[in-house]
Amino acid sequence: MSEREPKIVSFLCNWCSYGAADLAGVGRMEYPPNIRVIRIPCTGRMSPKFFLAALAQGADGVWVSG
Amino acid sequence: MITFKLNGKTVQGEEGQYILQVAQKYGVEIPTLCHHKALEPAGMCRLCTVELFDGRRSRFVTSCNYPIWEGMEVKTDSEPVHQGRKLIVELLMARCPDVPILKELGKKYGITETRFKKEEDTCILCGLCTRICTKMGNSAISLTGRGVDMKVDTPFHIQTDVCMACGACASVCPTGHITLEKIRSSVTKNSFKLIPSEYDMGLKGRKPVYVPYAQAVPNTPVIDRSVCMHFKTGGCKVCTEFCGVNAIDHTMQDEVVELNVGSIILSPGYQPFDPSKFDSYGYSKHPNVITAMEMERILSASGPTAGHLVRPSDHKEPKKIAWFQCVGSRDMNKCDHAYCSSVCCMYAIKEAVIAKEHSGSDLDCAIFYMDMRTHGKDFERFYNTAKDKHGVRFIRSRVHTIEPVPGTDDLSIRYITESGESVVEKFDQIVLSVGMEISPEVVGMAKNLGIELTPGNFCKTTTFEPVATSRPGIYVCGAFQGPKDIPQSVIDSSAAASAAGEILAEARNTLTRAKEIIPETNVIGERPRIGVFVCRCGINIAGVVNVPSVAEYAATLPYVEYATDNLYSCSQDTQENMAQIIKREGLNRVVVAACTPKTHEPLFQETLTNAGLNKYLFEMANIRNHDSWVHKNNPDLATQKAKDLIRSAVYKVALTMPLAEAELQIKSSALVVGGGIAGMTAARSLSLQGYETHIVEKSSNLGGQARNLYRTAKGEDIQQQLDILIQDVNQDDKIHVHLNAELVQMDGFVGSFKSTLNSAGQEIVVEHGVAVLATGASAYQPTEYHYGEDSRIVTSLELDKKFMEKDSSLSSLQSAVFIQCVGSREPDRPYCSRVCCTHSIDNALALKEMNPGMNIYLLYRDIRTYGEREYLFKEAREKGIIFIRYSMDKKPEVSLSNGKLSVKIMDHILGTPLEIETDLITLATAIVPNRDEKLANFFKVPMNSDGFFVERHAKLGPSEFATDGVFLCGMAHYPKPIDESIVQGKAAASRAVTLLARKTIHTSGNVAEVVPATCSSCGVCVSICPYSAPSFVEETARFNPGKAQINPVLCKGCGLCVASCRSGAIRLKGFDNDQIFAQITALNEAM
Repeated sequence: MSEREPKIVSFLCNWCSYGAADLAGVGRMEYPPNIRVIRIPCTGRMSPKFFLAALAQGADGVWVSG
Repeated sequence: MITFKLNGKTVQGEEGQYILQVAQKYGVEIPTLCHHKALEPAGMCRLCTVELFDGRRSRFVTSCNYPIWEGMEVKTDSEPVHQGRKLIVELLMARCPDVPILKELGKKYGITETRFKKEEDTCILCGLCTRICTKMGNSAISLTGRGVDMKVDTPFHIQTDVCMACGACASVCPTGHITLEKIRSSVTKNSFKLIPSEYDMGLKGRKPVYVPYAQAVPNTPVIDRSVCMHFKTGGCKVCTEFCGVNAIDHTMQDEVVELNVGSIILSPGYQPFDPSKFDSYGYSKHPNVITAMEMERILSASGPTAGHLVRPSDHKEPKKIAWFQCVGSRDMNKCDHAYCSSVCCMYAIKEAVIAKEHSGSDLDCAIFYMDMRTHGKDFERFYNTAKDKHGVRFIRSRVHTIEPVPGTDDLSIRYITESGESVVEKFDQIVLSVGMEISPEVVGMAKNLGIELTPGNFCKTTTFEPVATSRPGIYVCGAFQGPKDIPQSVIDSSAAASAAGEILAEARNTLTRAKEIIPETNVIGERPRIGVFVCRCGINIAGVVNVPSVAEYAATLPYVEYATDNLYSCSQDTQENMAQIIKREGLNRVVVAACTPKTHEPLFQETLTNAGLNKYLFEMANIRNHDSWVHKNNPDLATQKAKDLIRSAVYKVALTMPLAEAELQIKSSALVVGGGIAGMTAARSLSLQGYETHIVEKSSNLGGQARNLYRTAKGEDIQQQLDILIQDVNQDDKIHVHLNAELVQMDGFVGSFKSTLNSAGQEIVVEHGVAVLATGASAYQPTEYHYGEDSRIVTSLELDKKFMEKDSSLSSLQSAVFIQCVGSREPDRPYCSRVCCTHSIDNALALKEMNPGMNIYLLYRDIRTYGEREYLFKEAREKGIIFIRYSMDKKPEVSLSNGKLSVKIMDHILGTPLEIETDLITLATAIVPNRDEKLANFFKVPMNSDGFFVERHAKLGPSEFATDGVFLCGMAHYPKPIDESIVQGKAAASRAVTLLARKTIHTSGNVAEVVPATCSSCGVCVSICPYSAPSFVEETARFNPGKAQINPVLCKGCGLCVASCRSGAIRLKGFDNDQIFAQITALNEAM
């Protein structure tokens, strides 16, 4: 990749989006490799501090899905 | 082992291996055109030429077929090699100037234009096709001629019988010289056919070796012997060359396995009706006439078009789609299926709504139907929304013929509207809503087993034993019992399990074995010693991610004492090996970088347990599903991502602590609220399976609504059967009936509930492990149609009473009118009461039996005699009962004057008002739930806006609540006839037994915990938790009075309270703040 890709940290709910990401793999779908997943038990676990921490560590974007 | 030098590096290979094989093992790339892993190398294309130094001189050899020997030195990318390959490519480019792969190679070797004379060929004579053809056991083609005349050809240049059109040659041809199209047109006399994918309804092809569908269990490929070349010719076996673990055995035979069982449950399902036999619909002629099952696949994201709605003929997005209902159902003319398939109305509406969601609201969806049958829970609402919000058109008309529109792929139909006009309308696509039928194989099986079938070939059952076949010990569930949808099938299956459990109760646990418990090592206070196991998953991960480098990297991470890679981490031997390594290396934390924790976490946790480690000292890094599988074209970045994910997991696992799982004893008794037919069935089933059961009934006798009913749709006497059931319950030592009783207090949770009953003024405390709510429903008391003003206007239940009392006045009636949907499908009660159509028709038939000359009119909106109840509707029409449809805006009018009772209605066929003078009007009143808010609060179970209880999952958990240990059955769930109430009673018992039979349950270790010192007692956690896990410690308590506490048994570990706690006083074990922050921090290197 020649251009700089934004780095994304994602927090995925164990019960839905994390499973969906698993299924995307099973279906051999392709997406850019600039995303790093952190599994959380439920989006209810999400705290604003997690977003801020991810951004402070240099993430260009944070994606929460659940 | 042979050691030699490859590009200056010492490498090892096995005796008999070729240079190319060893180079590939070490990741050294050598270009090839004529090489194939499964075929003997031929050295035809010369592209793999390498430089070989044999100690004295250098020479050039083809690496694909040059065997390795001790001490040789090979250079794969020296300048002379490069020049040589460049020339080969240039010559090939001259021969085949338009072949993409050669153009690509030319680019790589810096050739813009070939210097040689161009020919117009596309074949490079690599011989892959002829070699694979031989491998297939066929030899239909070979290289013929010599020198410049050499070519790939069939014997004597003529079309051949030998070619079996398997397509192997086309699949290996590197240049595109051989295509499937060419095989068909010039080589073979055999017809070339796509193997239709069963899962995609033939809309897509599949391979002879295939996984039936992505979610198949087990998710293992199978070989289709009917199309596999090996089973035709004895050749091929190419798949075995590619399988890394030698799992393929072509010699495996079908086995006959004999099992000794105490009971058999039949759930063979149904097959969709094949509409090819309907000439007038032209399903086999017109590509854009498809079945609803094909439509399901087209709409599915995992389907042949990835959810993009296009029609089959030209892949154009349709603008107008029509659904035809009752194709293969309610039809005696074409297919002999007189029954209603029960599910098609609902799935057609669902497909229409989804199609509109996929294609935008300008898509025109029209459903042509006879009666709209949305009798399931929340289905009527869905129908109303489809009509009013999504604008799906509903046209009551049975269309006769589909005609193609000449010159286009469109379809034209002619239909008669409700007002009698004939309309011609064009559609882009037509979906046939095909019904269910029982396959001939299943009919054969039933014959072999000696069980009786119904006229529709479904399994014959009775209303009071709806999952028992005619042969004792054999039970049935699902669509073989009768056409039904998913929730009903799920209820059925639980009921069948219960029925089998009842007769096998004594044998329960007689075949179980106790598991050896390995003592847990105490790791508290120890410095983390982390082991990282990186899985190759065959080539699933290692084919993309550079696994050795990832494992090497993992070893450098903090606290990592051991890192390695495995071929298959989940295999039995690797598991044992891992346990050994954990013990040997003294590891106290483990990371497995492999697939997804959702499927494999429990397996690896067991490995930890076997190694004496607490199972929570574990973390997975998902480098397959989230990495190698989705970034296969980006190996470098995928490898980097794997490293990041492992780092993140290592940082997290270092902070994990051993977690305890509370063990909870389950009291082996149950409380059933409601002594109706569902409640009694549940109690009886629980008792037969060995559990003490208490029935709480608020009235003074058992029986519930069934007390008011005359006979079933199958003609069985309800009172007689009910008395038997009540007697069974009363005589059952394990069942304790509490009449005139009410629940006044309820404490506790799954496994240990404590309920206080007030039974006829006496307080009784019952301790129970589970609860079943079967509080039923009752009949709506109408205010419409002059009910209550004249004794000749009665409700359905009042008519049943007359039948039961053998009221002689009934036979002397001259005329009777039934009015349907009284209180149902109204704005106040937007649901269908499910039973009333069948009930009224059966009562009408009962009147006809008494007095065949009686004029009977049934005024309805849609007749919903689903399943084989449809036969009653047919019989009623045959016996002269007159069915008149009315609409919501033109309801029948009942008038009473001078003692004359009459009904005015607009006749839907004649279009003129009718006045019917009658002696009896029966109102088919709605079923209204007993809204018991108090009970709902006791058990913390939700109710929907209609007042019915809300089950755990509409489709997959219909007989249980989201609250653990509380189950649901009967009309408290939704209106239903007796057989369905009985089935659900048994189902609720079955679900309850899954808990009771365990005797103890382990809670999860991943639960929230309050740190009392920082808790400010604000109560946010108590109010926010959906599972009621947090509560306040009593003010009088010695420790932490007034602080919040969390019951680990009720906590589901979602973390909602943790995120909401203002004081930061709640921790979520296993997903603690410091762990998530560590994971985030670990990713900073990736940023």
